[in-house]
Amino acid sequence: MSHQWGMAVDLDRCTGCEACVVACHSENNIPTVGESEAARGRAMHWIRIERYWEGEFPEVKVKFRPVLCQQCDEAPCEPVCPTYASSHSEEGLNSQIYNRCIGTRYCANACGYNVRFFNFLTPVWDKPLHLQLNPDVSVREGGVMEKCTFCIQRINAGKVASGLAQRPLVDGEIQPACVQSCTANAMVFGDLADPESAVSKLANSTRGTKLLEELGTKPKITYLQRESWHETHSG
Amino acid sequence: MKRTADNSITDDLLRPVLQTSKAFFVAVAILAAIVASGFSAWAYQIYYGIGVTGDNWPVFWGFHETNFVFWIGISHAGTLISAILRIVNATWRRPVTRCAEVITAFALMIGAMFPLVHLGRPWLAWWLIPYPSERLLWPNYRSPLVWDFFAINTYLLSSLLFLGLPAIPDFALIRDRTTGWRNSLYGKLSLGWQGTPKQWHRLESAMHLMSLAIIPIAISVHTIVSFDFSMAVVPMWHSTIFGPYFVVGAIFSGIAALNIVMAIIRKALHLEKYLQPIHFQNLGKLMLAMSLLWGYFVFNERLVTWYGNTPHEMAALWSTQMGRYSPLFWTMVFCNFILPFPLLTIRKLRSIRAIVIASCGVVIGMWLERFLIIVPSLSYKGTPYSWGSYMPRWPEIAILSASFAAMALLYLLFSKFIPIISIWEMKVGEHPSIKVAAKVQEAEAAGELI
Amino acid sequence: MSAVYGLFTTPELAQQAVDELKAVGIPESEITIQSSEPLEEYEFGSRDRATLMPWIAVLGAAIGMATGYFLTSVTQRSWAINTGGMPIVTTWSNLIIIFELTMLGAVFASVLTLLVSARIPRRLPKFYDREISNRKILIGVANPRNVSKVEHALRASSGGVRRVENL
Repeated sequence: MSHQWGMAVDLDRCTGCEACVVACHSENNIPTVGESEAARGRAMHWIRIERYWEGEFPEVKVKFRPVLCQQCDEAPCEPVCPTYASSHSEEGLNSQIYNRCIGTRYCANACGYNVRFFNFLTPVWDKPLHLQLNPDVSVREGGVMEKCTFCIQRINAGKVASGLAQRPLVDGEIQPACVQSCTANAMVFGDLADPESAVSKLANSTRGTKLLEELGTKPKITYLQRESWHETHSG
Repeated sequence: MKRTADNSITDDLLRPVLQTSKAFFVAVAILAAIVASGFSAWAYQIYYGIGVTGDNWPVFWGFHETNFVFWIGISHAGTLISAILRIVNATWRRPVTRCAEVITAFALMIGAMFPLVHLGRPWLAWWLIPYPSERLLWPNYRSPLVWDFFAINTYLLSSLLFLGLPAIPDFALIRDRTTGWRNSLYGKLSLGWQGTPKQWHRLESAMHLMSLAIIPIAISVHTIVSFDFSMAVVPMWHSTIFGPYFVVGAIFSGIAALNIVMAIIRKALHLEKYLQPIHFQNLGKLMLAMSLLWGYFVFNERLVTWYGNTPHEMAALWSTQMGRYSPLFWTMVFCNFILPFPLLTIRKLRSIRAIVIASCGVVIGMWLERFLIIVPSLSYKGTPYSWGSYMPRWPEIAILSASFAAMALLYLLFSKFIPIISIWEMKVGEHPSIKVAAKVQEAEAAGELI
Repeated sequence: MSAVYGLFTTPELAQQAVDELKAVGIPESEITIQSSEPLEEYEFGSRDRATLMPWIAVLGAAIGMATGYFLTSVTQRSWAINTGGMPIVTTWSNLIIIFELTMLGAVFASVLTLLVSARIPRRLPKFYDREISNRKILIGVANPRNVSKVEHALRASSGGVRRVENL
């Protein structure tokens, strides 16, 4: 059975520090669009921290939720792409194939999580920032959609390394940039097809929920929190 | 019994083709300038990227997609009037059919430009064509955008044929009535048409079959355009009513456009004898019926959404009823329903001018309706943190204006080269019906008539 | 070739001319009729009506339907790409493509039948008169065996103008 990559995010540990956001930018060559473009709503954060305030002063609570591509098994963004730029890989990832994208942006509209981003303008890196580009990741041109890939370049590198060393992959060996940089160890990445992996066990946790599960997209990220929605809202 | 052939129809309807006023050239120049500015805005957008528009995250579609749906909707005028009225033998359609069919052809061409305009990488649009490519990839037939490609091309080809075939006898007419470059041009365009009974029968058979085919094609086209929205699980998009809702809206806006165009050419080309108040009245009644139908669908949509009270739809709904987009919503209701209703219902008010005013309102209202379907839903999709909004910028406005100017320009040029009212069909309108002709023959044979 | 014809100002006179020609023994297939409008309400204008066009349109529709079916299902199977967990051959959505190509097939078949049976496009045949576009109806015979008989028949319908041409 091939790998089925998944993730677990512990909302009780997330501090909202946004180290994952920064790490994702640098790992995946995501441009910073600049102040005026960000004001126009063109910022591209493949992972973002959604912050919600609850309650009235002085009983205010803040909630953080990292939102990234859920790699849905029944992704609504995939059937609508006219050129097969958005499709499902055998390892359970939603692949965004930049070369095929003609920029209709239908996939972004169909995505219920708003985790797809468009290169509205041609990305630029002012010198000397161009030196920090990751050679393992392509640089996208204007007019192309992009989104979180679970750091597919790291997944492939891990598979290559383990293949060369002629050993199976070790759970936790492959870490996307966000998982690696999380200061609170709130994110776990692994193979859902392996029942012994950490992410599989967390996916079955009673603290686990899926985001916007009612949409029927079968997302692969499990969010963990001490009080589940059901516990808070019953009795 | 007429002893001379009456050429007044031919003379009247050929005059705009054979004579040109200065006003024509002025109008063409102005419209061409506006169209050119639209093309430069598009070129600017291609060079710098979609970022020069107001599109953003998460409102990825705005004016361009609104214009797409709007113009494809306008194209439903010709089909309804021409095809359905042909099939039911409604003779009042005769002066109106070509006017309407021309709107369809050009509205489709303009509408079909907008999928190209909205693309991030339009130079790759040809990947939508199904051909065996070296990449071994075919278009994704599961995508509503590919359905659009097939539907709109089918409708465009069929409409062009529907418009062009009955024009052949009129080309022959102009060929015979002119000399010089006109004679040579129309000689080629008329394809050697002679007018034998066999040719007339085949032409009418082909028109009848195409009328039968083009009605389901037209209904399917705007249904498929509605699928661009209803196939996505977006608040207030994922509704089963979208197919019929869009088709009704399309016919509604199409008739309004037809009224406006007919009124203009009636005045400009002095066709008062042919485009009579009765034609506007009949179309006005149809438009009233469409207005009521449209209102019925909107009420259905909104009541079901409001009553269902699902959180992820209510934000989008309230934004149109009381929130950010409510001024546009209530303007739309006024333009599509409150304004046309008295003007079209009360017979004393139903003059040509009133019908044109109501039609202008409907055109504006239906454009707003397309906008209000697209933008509020995208603004309130997904988690509240990711909600957004949309404001157009100058390239969208330039391209929108250019699309209207292009319609006017193409129409103007068409009426200069092809009679805007089908001459041979008007002549047929003067014939007695088959029963009457047979009775006349019998009476003659019995010696009762001279 | 030569032709003898008359130009008639009303359909009733044209009908008379055709009747006269038939009376002198000219078979219907040799009588040429040309007009700037269809005259189906009259006997002479209602010949050659029978056509296979509707059946050919149905055939065209069937070809379109088959094209749509094979285009979608064969290409979807040629490279099976998983999109949204949907089946590889999605019959529901393929029906849309199949429908459009069916209708297109019907339209093309009708138009093709028209072009072939009306014999257009071609160069305008010489046996023609521009006066037809002044709402005159041309009734005549091409290469008549007995020119005087034809002339006589045409002249008998009062109001007709007769011409003799060597083309």
